[in-house]
Amino acid sequence: MNITLDNIMPTPLASIQHGSDSIWGNKIELRKGKRILLNASSGKGKSTFTTTAIGLRKDYTGILSYDGQDIQNLTPDDWAEIRQRKISVVFQDLQLFPKLTVRENLLIKNALTDTFTERELMDMLEKLEIENKWEQHCGLLSMGQQQRVAIIRAMAQPYQWLIMDEPFSHLDVDNSNRCLEIIHNRTVEQGAGFVLTTLGNDHGYAYDQELKL
Amino acid sequence: MLNKLLFKNQDGPQLIIAMIGAFMGITFLITSIHYLIKVNEFGEGEEILGPNTIIVQKMISNSSIFGLTQTDFSISEIEKMKEESFILDVKPVVANNFAISFQTNDSLVPYFRSDVFIQTVDPEFLDVKSDNWEWEEGDTIVPIIMPRDFLVMLNTFMSAQNIPQISDEIAMKLNFKFTLSSKDNSKKEWVNAKIIGFTNSVASILVPESFMTYGNDTYSDGTDQKITQIMISGEESEFGLVEEMLNERGLESKNSQMVIGRLKSMIGTLFLVVLGISVIAVFVSGLVMIQYLQLLMSRNAYEVRTLLRIGYKPREIINKFFIYFIKIFGLVALLALTSFFLLKLFLDTMFEEGGLYIDTNVTVGSMLALTLAYALFTLSSYLTAKKGIFKEY
Repeated sequence: MNITLDNIMPTPLASIQHGSDSIWGNKIELRKGKRILLNASSGKGKSTFTTTAIGLRKDYTGILSYDGQDIQNLTPDDWAEIRQRKISVVFQDLQLFPKLTVRENLLIKNALTDTFTERELMDMLEKLEIENKWEQHCGLLSMGQQQRVAIIRAMAQPYQWLIMDEPFSHLDVDNSNRCLEIIHNRTVEQGAGFVLTTLGNDHGYAYDQELKL
Repeated sequence: MLNKLLFKNQDGPQLIIAMIGAFMGITFLITSIHYLIKVNEFGEGEEILGPNTIIVQKMISNSSIFGLTQTDFSISEIEKMKEESFILDVKPVVANNFAISFQTNDSLVPYFRSDVFIQTVDPEFLDVKSDNWEWEEGDTIVPIIMPRDFLVMLNTFMSAQNIPQISDEIAMKLNFKFTLSSKDNSKKEWVNAKIIGFTNSVASILVPESFMTYGNDTYSDGTDQKITQIMISGEESEFGLVEEMLNERGLESKNSQMVIGRLKSMIGTLFLVVLGISVIAVFVSGLVMIQYLQLLMSRNAYEVRTLLRIGYKPREIINKFFIYFIKIFGLVALLALTSFFLLKLFLDTMFEEGGLYIDTNVTVGSMLALTLAYALFTLSSYLTAKKGIFKEY
């Protein structure tokens, strides 16, 4: 699935001057299978890009389309289908359920598509060294631990695009690398692409494309 | 897991208060509807005259004995009564203007003969099938409705003769005979008669209108027949107004008819008030339940929003709330139904001890009210859930 941003200008960013290579106000195509870095300083609209690209924000001008279809015309059921099988997201604020355990947070997402077994989910937790948090409430975890849970949750579905909004902001280098390895393997395995937004750190990964804001 | 996420952390006491409110409202609603129907049905079937119908005549005073006041009704008097809002209909009771006697004509009962007084009323006031209440000139049998006192009298007579007494059903199979004659006895005729029902409201034998017309046309001496009795049919629950009108106009009726009418009117009004309060209670408790659902959804706004963002369909989440409230309302309805039956057991016993033998079957109306309340509660919960979910979308 290709994502096209045709002259997109979010209302809150309309008064700011954007460069000629910015994704805002220009035509940008995110081609299927590409691994893309979106590197920008604070306040430039990284989260705005994430939420606009997945249809959570509608306060923009221009046309944003998936394979040529304007996303403004998608129905709630279309969106559910897209969020279950085509686009997975790691939100900046993670969007975990603090009153549910790590296990429940992962299963509630995994149940939609039955992508992994509990064992496979546990294995991923083990790789990220938080397997002992399996039955702990997410609200009791540190931000770094929660970030790792949110990344594994994003893996627990088939996807063509993985959109990640500063997913490693609370992780050290080792944990960031481990996460990136899991993301890379899962993305490549599906022939999918990803967009990773970051505050200047490229985490040493060889991206196919870099976007600017 | 979704249930745990959406319903685990709710305000228990508030839910229980809302459920108690709905439970009480529905219990009183179905109880009051049930007894309102039962009170209105009270006495029906036992009496061949239609419900809320009385036969009245003018009170006889000393002045009427001397002919100073009239004891018959004029057409204008009848028309004026019809104009009252609480009166459904007024019709004259027509009496015979010729000589008529009545006798037994069956080997099962001893010979018995008496001069009698017959009357006819509009068929609309009678609870009989029109096919059974027809007579045409040339017909050999005339259907009649007997005063129940006649059967009592006949049984007393038979008991004194050491003959077995007869039931309503047997009496309706016996053959009787009318002898019609002019007052100067110059013309005479015999007609067979069959009882088709009994009444407590009329002291005379009731015959079809066509038979009365035939008798009056053939055997009367030509004098005008005076209307000394009329039938009045009043509105449900407004019997007090009918009674007031009778007093004002110097009319009287059989006391038992008045007592039943007054009692039905009184109890009916009482249950109508309870019904009104119940409807308000159900409405208010419905609002409280819906408010509780809104509170629950507002507490779960983050969870609902996140579920939608990770791929749950709005309909799936709406259904979760809807099914949850179907269960809550189902429990409330079940508890209300149980308490209705307990209350009914208590009230039926109380009525019976008070001498009011009310039919104990459950009324369809009360069950329909329960179904309707349940449907309204669930429908409003569905619409509220839908609105709340799409607000987070």
